[in-house]
Amino acid sequence: MSVKKLKRETHPDYIFNRKYEPLIYLVPFAIGLLIFTIYPIINVVIMSFKEGYRLSGNYTGWGIGNYQFVLTNKDFLSAIKNTFIYVLTVVPISTVFSIIIANLLNQKVKGMAIFQTAYFLPMVTSSIAVGISWRYMFNKQFGVINWLLGLFGVAPIDWLGATAGQAPWNIVVIIIFGIWNLMPFTIILLLSGLQNIDPLYYTAAKVDGASSTKIFTRITVPLLAPTIFLTMIVNMISAFKVYNEVIPFWSGKAGVLSNNLYTMVYWIKETFYSKLRLGNAAAASIVLFLIILCFTLLQRWIQKHFNY
Amino acid sequence: MKNNDAVKKFFIYLILALGGIIMIFPFYWMISGSFKTAAEYNSFPPVWIPGNWLNFDNFTKAFEQAPLMKYFLNSCIVTFSSVTINGFITILAAFGFSRLKFKGKEAVFALLVAFMMVPFEMQVITNYQTVARLNLIDTLPVLVIPFTSSIFYTYILKGFFDTVPDSLYYSARIDGASNWKYLWRVMVPIARPSLVTIMLLNAIASWNSFMWVQLVINSDRNRTIPLGIFAFVSDAGSDPKLQLAAATIAVLPMIILFLFARKYIVSGVSRGGIKG
Amino acid sequence: MQVKIEHLTKRFGDFTAVEDFNMVFDDGKLVALLGPSGCGKSTILNMLSGILPSTSGKIYFDETDVTNVPPQDRGVGLVFQNYALYPHMSVLENIAFPLEIKKVPKEERNKKAEEMARLVHVDQYLHRKPKELSGGQQQRVAIARALIKQPRLLLLDEPLSNLDARLRLEMREEIRRIQLETGVTTVFVTHDQEEAMSISDKIVLMKNGVLQQEAGPQELYDNPANLFVANFLGNPPINNLNGYIKDGYFVLEDESGKIKINNPNVKEGQQVVMGIRAESVAIKDGDHDFEATVKQRYTMGKEELAFLNIGNQTIRVYLSSDYEFKEGETVFVKLRDKGVFLFDKETGVQI
Repeated sequence: MSVKKLKRETHPDYIFNRKYEPLIYLVPFAIGLLIFTIYPIINVVIMSFKEGYRLSGNYTGWGIGNYQFVLTNKDFLSAIKNTFIYVLTVVPISTVFSIIIANLLNQKVKGMAIFQTAYFLPMVTSSIAVGISWRYMFNKQFGVINWLLGLFGVAPIDWLGATAGQAPWNIVVIIIFGIWNLMPFTIILLLSGLQNIDPLYYTAAKVDGASSTKIFTRITVPLLAPTIFLTMIVNMISAFKVYNEVIPFWSGKAGVLSNNLYTMVYWIKETFYSKLRLGNAAAASIVLFLIILCFTLLQRWIQKHFNY
Repeated sequence: MKNNDAVKKFFIYLILALGGIIMIFPFYWMISGSFKTAAEYNSFPPVWIPGNWLNFDNFTKAFEQAPLMKYFLNSCIVTFSSVTINGFITILAAFGFSRLKFKGKEAVFALLVAFMMVPFEMQVITNYQTVARLNLIDTLPVLVIPFTSSIFYTYILKGFFDTVPDSLYYSARIDGASNWKYLWRVMVPIARPSLVTIMLLNAIASWNSFMWVQLVINSDRNRTIPLGIFAFVSDAGSDPKLQLAAATIAVLPMIILFLFARKYIVSGVSRGGIKG
Repeated sequence: MQVKIEHLTKRFGDFTAVEDFNMVFDDGKLVALLGPSGCGKSTILNMLSGILPSTSGKIYFDETDVTNVPPQDRGVGLVFQNYALYPHMSVLENIAFPLEIKKVPKEERNKKAEEMARLVHVDQYLHRKPKELSGGQQQRVAIARALIKQPRLLLLDEPLSNLDARLRLEMREEIRRIQLETGVTTVFVTHDQEEAMSISDKIVLMKNGVLQQEAGPQELYDNPANLFVANFLGNPPINNLNGYIKDGYFVLEDESGKIKINNPNVKEGQQVVMGIRAESVAIKDGDHDFEATVKQRYTMGKEELAFLNIGNQTIRVYLSSDYEFKEGETVFVKLRDKGVFLFDKETGVQI
């Protein structure tokens, strides 16, 4: 018998539940939530329509000026472009690598603890700190990466620097770093997706004489497809907020030329914190939110429609 | 057939090992770099293994040049407070949402889950103003207070509380236990794995937190480790070896945590996804 | 303790789970609340424990009206179908938990818990966790935990349904033993008639929230108040033959046979159902009631179960395997007095 939808007087829980009791448990949570989550969300929407808004709270008037400003601002547009380049390279590439690694890890390998540690460690460590190591690995003269490429006859690449006002390799650096950072999480999600595939499918396919490649392309990938999609979208949502990955390489600046590698969050932080243009930053953060929202809705939709 | 399998196994291990080396290499480079002498560090082609693993010069100098100990301590204080306070509030809230009945509960909870998709970056501007108004800028509490209520962790824990059968609750209540007693004597011990998981995820997030710290902490003595080493690195003229030593100190606690709690962390991440 | 229930009714919205239920459970007796799922038996149990409030009616424990007394103050012990043991506590801690809540000192409550564990025969597992016990042992622990507070009333919700067949037999005898040893008034809910028949002092049979009959197991079997009761009890189920009354005879509906009946309450032309227990049929030459054809036979050791066609209706009967019949053969059937009932077809009430 379902007691879920019953009225107050007929649900057993109410017998044990004094009317004020939920308050005791929820009030501490609600206070923090109201002040630091709900109010800011509402406020940022309002703020984005206040023109000339300053830290003091003064503003000159209402309007869509902030949106006009950010959507025509060269730096913000370039931040959007950079962010999209980052998302659309980092997420697919790390997904492909992760599918391979997750699939190999799922083959009942020995030494799982060692492999897990190697593959998952970047997830728990600060990108600001480990980024320092990467920074020196990318060093033009002494870096191991150029040394390694040199073995194959590649001339030293100026990863972190610029020549003649151009720094094409800067974004590649944060893409590589981003892929490395994102892989652990992606592998974990895919691995748990793989472990949810009923081994009977594999047994059946082997009995039918399917080759390992055939099994991988005809069984594993199709059955894993929903997980792959989902993981990619979750990753995209987090990749759109790229910020920490930019910090270690140029001592906190966005690229060697100081502004060639703006990301959306970086621009928002700069505009609000250094330039104190809160209204502009608010509008920009709403643009970011709307982009993320699209992907979140896509994620919800996939979750609903592709559950085997 | 047997031979074929052996070849296959060999390639599996080969690829996994190569990938694993690439993944772990930056850590190795960081740690080994912090033990290198200047000659070793500056040689090209690179020196792979430092001559003396007991050469702590870089660490000593790093500690001299920057108050790393202070940063480290600040990080410990902030992480510990965040985990305990947030943990306590999350337990209460998850219990409230899972066990207690009140009008509109489902609707409120659904709304909260919808709020989860709002990036923290969107709240950061207002939160900065709020803590400024509360005169909390450049204090340690400001690194804890805004994060006491987490929808994400509450959502995970509530999900676990929901799986505990009603009959346990009724049983305990008929035996005379109060809600409070039931929560701490029955629910929390049963939920320990989930609780450990959210606390670990929270500890990792707290320890590594950067942008918020960068915004609200100004003075050297209140820096946590990520901001501290960021400042240390940005200060012109500091030696890469010392930077690597400092980075090693920042990363080590999390590596140790991971080695000890790998299973909890991995299961937590695969169950709830991670906070963006 | 005596439990008295007066006009107890429970509605969930438009749905009536229990309708005007009146009952007395005598002190120290083991009572089974029996019925198919959704009959309201669990609802009654929950109202007795207090975790469900009643819509109307009264419940008395001895002379005290407990209708509005909260569950924790009623002094009842409740054992859930899934046992509801706390997985992180040892057997000892589980059993002692109600006393822990009452802030009984540790030494005292552990001593008491060990006593209880001995009573239910789990004293060798005191330091194990519930998941290290079999279903039957978990059940014992749950009963011990319910008994440690010395409840005035012990309530068991489907106590045996999570156990496998062998354990079920063992545990039902155990429940009886424990109940007799402690003398606690006990009510248990079950949908299994055999379970109810085998151990209870009294069976309360419910259907759709309405009381059908309350009686001792044998009385219920030998004298069912209506067709539902007759059909619910017994394995194999009682046979139903449809027919009508004519000139003091029960006539089969296809008029292929008739039987003289000595029941003053029947009315001429009344549509009736004759209930015949499988063991109330004998094969007999000469003086017989019906002619039947043997349809199928199944050997069951000392007896065998036969399907007989009487006209266009089929009955199941137990026959001694001494008889040698072939399938398709015609036999003569004589009904015994005991285990044969007449019910009004419309109301189902025994005539």
